Amino acid sequence: MRIALTGNPNSGKTTLYNAITGKNERVGNWAGVTVDKKESPIKKSLYEAGEELVAVDLPGAYSMSPFTSEESVTSSYVKEDNPDVIINIVDGTNLSRSLFFTTQLLELGIPMVVALNKSDVNESKETIIDADTLSEKLGCPVIPTTSTTGEGHKELIAKAVELKGTSQKAPYIQGDVDLTDKAAVEAADRKRFDFVNAIVKDVETRKVLTKDKNFGDKLDNVLTNKWLGIPIFAVVMYLVFQISQAWVGPFIADTLVAWLESFQGWVGDKVGDASPLLYALLIDGVIGGVIAVIGFLPLVMVMYFLIALLEDCGYMSRVAVVLDPIFKKVGLSGKSVIPFVITIGCAVPGIMASRTIRNERERRATAMIAPFMPCGAKVPVIALFAGAFFDGAGWVSTVAYFVGILLIFLSALLVNKIAGYKARKSFFIIELPEYKAPSLLGAFKSMCSRGWAYIVKAATIILLCNTAVQIMQTFNWSFKEAASADESILASIAGPFAYILVPFVGVLSWELAAAAITGFIAKENVVGTLAVCFVGLDNLIDTEELAMMEGSGAEVAGVMAITKVAALAYMMFNLYSPPCFAAIGAMNSEMKSAKWIWGGIGLQLGVGFTVAYLVYTIGTLVTDAASLAAGPAIAGLVAIVIMVAIVIALINNTNKQLKKEYAISK
Amino acid sequence: MSLAEALEGKDYIIEEILTDDEELNAFLFSLGCYSGESITVVAKRKKNLTVSIKDARYNIDIQLASAIIVR
Ligand SMILES: Nc1nc2c(ncn2[C@@H]2O[C@H](COP(=O)(O)OP(=O)(O)O)[C@@H](O)[C@H]2O)c(=O)[nH]1
Ligand SMILES: [Mg+2]
Repeated sequence: MRIALTGNPNSGKTTLYNAITGKNERVGNWAGVTVDKKESPIKKSLYEAGEELVAVDLPGAYSMSPFTSEESVTSSYVKEDNPDVIINIVDGTNLSRSLFFTTQLLELGIPMVVALNKSDVNESKETIIDADTLSEKLGCPVIPTTSTTGEGHKELIAKAVELKGTSQKAPYIQGDVDLTDKAAVEAADRKRFDFVNAIVKDVETRKVLTKDKNFGDKLDNVLTNKWLGIPIFAVVMYLVFQISQAWVGPFIADTLVAWLESFQGWVGDKVGDASPLLYALLIDGVIGGVIAVIGFLPLVMVMYFLIALLEDCGYMSRVAVVLDPIFKKVGLSGKSVIPFVITIGCAVPGIMASRTIRNERERRATAMIAPFMPCGAKVPVIALFAGAFFDGAGWVSTVAYFVGILLIFLSALLVNKIAGYKARKSFFIIELPEYKAPSLLGAFKSMCSRGWAYIVKAATIILLCNTAVQIMQTFNWSFKEAASADESILASIAGPFAYILVPFVGVLSWELAAAAITGFIAKENVVGTLAVCFVGLDNLIDTEELAMMEGSGAEVAGVMAITKVAALAYMMFNLYSPPCFAAIGAMNSEMKSAKWIWGGIGLQLGVGFTVAYLVYTIGTLVTDAASLAAGPAIAGLVAIVIMVAIVIALINNTNKQLKKEYAISK
Repeated sequence: MSLAEALEGKDYIIEEILTDDEELNAFLFSLGCYSGESITVVAKRKKNLTVSIKDARYNIDIQLASAIIVR
């Protein structure tokens, strides 16, 4: 039997879902975390044997009439998919708002249990809710719960099982209302709220009134302060990146890499007697490539942990408030901030989070430009280049994120110019949940599950890609061992693409092209492929060793045969060109328009190329002007001029159209 | 007057919401923000304000605040 979890946003549905199913779905202290339906069997330990129970987690909604697209998932699910029982999670600290939706759900006739959640908060605030009276008034069981500790879950599920097959009587029936008559609908809704208010009055006694100023409001005054808000956010993000990528992360990574290398050595011994070809293929190539990727895991995991803490404490919606005025200047709103921040972890959920944005143009623009924020899979790429070319300098990652943010602003402006931004009244409203101490255990679990996903990815997709790359660079088209890698299959496939890279890396390198191409499958592949292609690069983050190599004159720069400036440019090309296929798929499903998706990919390619070109050309002119080859520099410039011309033509076209529309409306 | 001119820390009663965006209107309604209900300005800043409606806090920008007429 299927049990649907419904309720207002941020009432604790996903926390409950995770607790009863053992899953690790994203939980966050703001409205709109869950944007899609999730299903999973409930743990057997929570109920007595019998029919299997499946819980369905749904996005939050305030009422049956959806406001944004993710809310419509909920109402259409309960209306059309006939769950056996509904568990309505009611935020006990906000009964007066929650019961509006509750009474609507009760009218569906599906048996329902109310989970009166966040009982712990009510207890500490000395708010008393009379669950028995509430149950009587609503005509359905009411079980006090605390999702975070598991309190009341067993009872809740037992009640749900008990109710299967019964039918729910509604305590309040709206009756026949002409849904097309706005005034009639509103009048009916008013009556519903009157009904709810009367119940709340009877069952709730509050000591602390919500409207009174509390500690959270004082904190808000600082965190969303006109002058301090943005610097505080910048410092918080800086700390997240520094801790994960410079302080704690690399420290753990060193240990991990040493351990992995002894594993590599052990496997090496086992196959030592086999052919040198197999040795090279398996040990240096495949395993080396995977180690290169997994070695960066601690950096990413520390980052996941910190982001989970941020998400859970309630700061995210404040960030949206702080950045709303700036984003309005480029035609977006504070709502876009959340997708951008989630993208720091992974672009796929980041792009999906744009679903909570109601305006279609804003939503599409957000999905299109979110990938400029470097995601977790790009961390290894950043760390590789920072470690190999810049002595592990922290500024490389700071610059990477800073440029990402800058590109988000600039491309938002550009998208608006092209898509035709009509000045319209924009309204911004966001719920400010109460601050809470973030759950360390929750963050740890979330870190582990995302970290595990990273390992699985490394052991499947990336391992496969590395193997393919290794094989393709070992053999030539007649499937004989190639005399040198330059005559291999890989070189001949990647070779043509290498020309595109010349304007910003300065050399014709099929290896770099191959890495950029495999990067579209998964960005970690950039690191894996480089490790496979450039022998001697298999220990990528052990900066000590790299320093030694540098000391002996064999600079990594020498192995890759590009300059530092070129390395920076190449890194940026990989960061800001189109994201991996999974993210492009997510873009596609949020945009639902071929024009927008191709426009988006075009924009990302253009931006990636332009940034890399500018970094390389200007950088080279400053550091070593004589080494800048004129041919590629001019070719690159021509390409950029053509792109700019196209963009200008598009903008002119849009302006003409807007003028026409304007003339008609006059 | 509109909420944009309201004073910090005071309770008001909503009179009217000036918008022809029906969905927004319905959304605000489901939060308990409709004529006749009370609303409290918890904090007022230059470009946005924090309000308390029913038992929740929301941040709204000055544009939305100007569309909410209170007494
Ligand atoms: N104090 C307390 N916090 C809770 C409880 N249940 C959920 N939360 C917190 O409320 C926030 C929202 O939870 P989430 O499950 O994402 O809500 P959803 O939007 O309904 O899925 C998170 O920060 C949770 O840690 C509870 O029973 N007590
Ligand atoms: Mg959720």
